[in-house]
Amino acid sequence: MLIPRKVKHRKQHHPGRSGQATGGTKVSFGEFGIQAITPAYVTNRQIEAARIAMTRHIKRGGKVWINVFPDRPITKKPAETRMGSGKGSPEWWVANIKPGRVLFELSGVNETIAREALTRAIHKLPLKARIIKREEGDA
Amino acid sequence: MTDKKVSTGKKSQADKDASADNHIKAELRENFGKGYARRLRAEGRIPAVLYGHGTAPQHVSVPAHEVGLLLRKANAILDLNIAGKKQLALVKDVQKDPVRQIIEHLDLVIVKKGEKVHVEVPIHLEGESFSGTIAMLEVNTIRVEADATNIPERIVIDIEGAEDGTKIHAADAVLPEGSTLMDEPDLLLVNVIVPAAVSLGEPTEGEAAEEVEGEAAAEAGEAADEAPAEAAAE
Repeated sequence: MLIPRKVKHRKQHHPGRSGQATGGTKVSFGEFGIQAITPAYVTNRQIEAARIAMTRHIKRGGKVWINVFPDRPITKKPAETRMGSGKGSPEWWVANIKPGRVLFELSGVNETIAREALTRAIHKLPLKARIIKREEGDA
Repeated sequence: MTDKKVSTGKKSQADKDASADNHIKAELRENFGKGYARRLRAEGRIPAVLYGHGTAPQHVSVPAHEVGLLLRKANAILDLNIAGKKQLALVKDVQKDPVRQIIEHLDLVIVKKGEKVHVEVPIHLEGESFSGTIAMLEVNTIRVEADATNIPERIVIDIEGAEDGTKIHAADAVLPEGSTLMDEPDLLLVNVIVPAAVSLGEPTEGEAAEEVEGEAAAEAGEAADEAPAEAAAE
């Protein structure tokens, strides 16, 4: 599971959800990628689930890149707790995903397998996404 | 390590026809700003800037659909007609909206026939490597010097039957006539490897034990962190 090794502050404010991705919007390493079209907080568990779904489908045939890292802690107060008494304890680690961001990349398999693998991965993510292909014009 | 021969891709008839039809009627822009640019895009045109050869930058607009088709291949050359004046231009930069996938702006650089330009040409792999191996493309493009009017569309590398450990370097790439390699000759382009085993999410007994220990340690650490804070709050 992806988790930061060391953090400067254990509890942070909620990451901003507005705007579009300004970087990491193209397929840079592989041939195919998953591009988010809605914003979301993607937890490390969801990233791992998507990776496993993808890897299981391609078996040992290709290479997977994870372009996002869950570096933002989200806190939660315990159930049935009165308000106040400070901020809750960190519960999840999330990657703050904005529209346009490429989350995963894949290469080394044919297009049919790649699209099926990426579709399975998208089903594990809490956002709307599409599969994009590296274009020669983007080079 | 074995080296494979590399061939250059031949243009199909359709590609030739497409490259021949790159005449674009551009219009000079006299108004500027995001409002004007947005209205221009709504009309189906793309704002662009044309510069190079020591000339003053010219602000133009080009038809979105026609240019969009030409931009499907890298290093497109546009034969612009700006108010009756012909001008060859190379697409230097494309600004795209990542979500809507529309072209927002173009940077065009003036080129002349016979002029040499430095461009990034995409690499295309052809064939399938030996069973059980995968061909990893280490770089997506290769930098070459070529005639402005004869830029190779792509460099095709044949990896048919390539075995584990095959490495193809930039020096192995056979470039078309008139093109010269500008990258380091020992730049690794393709590496044929046997994919490493990856975790499929079913931890073995050892991993499971480690995870439990790790979680227990983390919880203990967290409890220790929170205890003083809670005591202080009370």
